[in-house]
Amino acid sequence: MGDIVVLVKASLNPELVRQAPDGSVDVRAIPLKISDIDRNAVEEAVKLKQKLGGKLVAISILTWGPVQARMKDLRLAVQEALAKGVDEAYVVADDSITPGDQVTTASAVKAVIERAGLKPDLILAGEATIDETTSQVPGRLARLLGYSYVSFARKLDVVDGKVIAERDLEDYIEVVEAPLPAVVSVTQEINEPRPPTLLQIRRAARKPIRQLKAGDLEGVTPPKRKILEMRVLQVKRKQVIIEGASLEEVADKLIDLLIQEGVLKL
Amino acid sequence: MAGVKALLVAYDPKDFPELAEWASEAGVQPVYLAVHEAAAKAGDYAAKLGARVYVAETSNPGSIAWAVEEVARREQAALVAGEAYRNLRDALSRVAAALEAPMATDATKAEVEGDSVIVERGFLSERAVARIQLPLPAVILFLTRFRRPSGEPSLGQGEILRLEPPEPREKRVEVREKPKGGVNLEEAEIIVGVGRGFKSKEDLKLAFELAELLGGQVGCTRPIAADLKWLSEDHWIGISGKRVSPKLYIAIGISGSPQHMSGVQGAKVIVAVNKDKAAPIFKQADYGVVADLYQFLPVLIKKLKERMGKA
Repeated sequence: MGDIVVLVKASLNPELVRQAPDGSVDVRAIPLKISDIDRNAVEEAVKLKQKLGGKLVAISILTWGPVQARMKDLRLAVQEALAKGVDEAYVVADDSITPGDQVTTASAVKAVIERAGLKPDLILAGEATIDETTSQVPGRLARLLGYSYVSFARKLDVVDGKVIAERDLEDYIEVVEAPLPAVVSVTQEINEPRPPTLLQIRRAARKPIRQLKAGDLEGVTPPKRKILEMRVLQVKRKQVIIEGASLEEVADKLIDLLIQEGVLKL
Repeated sequence: MAGVKALLVAYDPKDFPELAEWASEAGVQPVYLAVHEAAAKAGDYAAKLGARVYVAETSNPGSIAWAVEEVARREQAALVAGEAYRNLRDALSRVAAALEAPMATDATKAEVEGDSVIVERGFLSERAVARIQLPLPAVILFLTRFRRPSGEPSLGQGEILRLEPPEPREKRVEVREKPKGGVNLEEAEIIVGVGRGFKSKEDLKLAFELAELLGGQVGCTRPIAADLKWLSEDHWIGISGKRVSPKLYIAIGISGSPQHMSGVQGAKVIVAVNKDKAAPIFKQADYGVVADLYQFLPVLIKKLKERMGKA
């Protein structure tokens, strides 16, 4: 079995959205964290490495700059993957390609694989990242590399040079087989990620994180997408707590309010 | 010469009128590709869309990607658009890579301006909205049911062209229908949402009774469907589940995580019932009732019945 690659993104943390005085999203003030579903991808990759052998490599492309302000969060995200059992990591952090888009990220991952001389049989990623939720990068990468692509896997195994996976679609589950090499995106249902132990975290500090710039790589496509505007959605909800001497009174008041709102007809 | 040529990919038959209406509003020149369940209705729609309708009878994302690339090349389409089903996220991400094109997913709006397209979409788990500009060629996936079309298209007779995709690398060996709870949350006007505040599956009957009384349906959070499996997945509302826009959403025993709440932003009025006064749901609701659901629901049901004359 060849190498296994897992993609890790330091995503904007949606729980810590910051707003500028003009109502726009203050992207620079929002911290980055490892995208939740990437934890499932790492967990699954470690499991498969234990079964199949080979080297497990994490690749992370920084989407949100500026690099200097983001390096700490980016390293933390990657170190979590290393602590969970990834052997080494490559990160690409370069202000000439931030804010990146999915065209950039997929091309940069491919470029890292080539530059590092990796020959992955399997590339795992989360079904989507928590900041943009587009599910694009794994499919793009598969197409660029000419690999099989199996998306939305909630169960995965590799047997006799083939990926066997259960794909989770809107109305049905589909079991598919695809020859290696393959890119697989996983859903949160695939496993229960275990947090790394203290010992694992300490050991991870000695594992290599290799930092690259766009100039070290060939074929990185600059971002095409331009973000014109990003507004924080105001919570327009009324936030009225209905009180009363008894639950009966509360229920009556609620029913009256819903009738007034025109959303309930009795 | 009409505007930009757009290849519109229909996956479900409902996509046809929605995409057609968008195309005429956006002033693009449409050509269609029907796949999955839309393929069976391609003949009906070809008679109404007044445009070429290509058909590929496949639900395999590798085959869909092949067909999209084939038609985009034949028709010199500068824009590929569809709705955000999982198989189309898969297929169109491959196509976008082949075209070296940027792609926007979960778009609520898109307008063509010169040689680019301006898209509006949610961002940061729906806590923000972004307007982004993609130079053509570009790929767009709209939110499913992103608009309610005013009616069926009547644009005259079009032409049907059949495609035979080659064998894909990824092969289906088995398919299992997901158990269905018979809900259709996207079209429900009233939804009663249930979360971890319920202590057992049997207790959900309180929510079902309330929903039935109101002529509504029951939805749920991720743990109820995915972890506990108390309800089938078609009840699941949120980031990996459904996005709904009822007139009234009644959240019962739901704490209000961003993953769940992103699915109900479209609700006109949100009511929250939770015994924890500090639950984040109260900041995201119009009306809150701080009470134990086991005490409040029977009272609410009784009052509703009285006022409906059903007591």
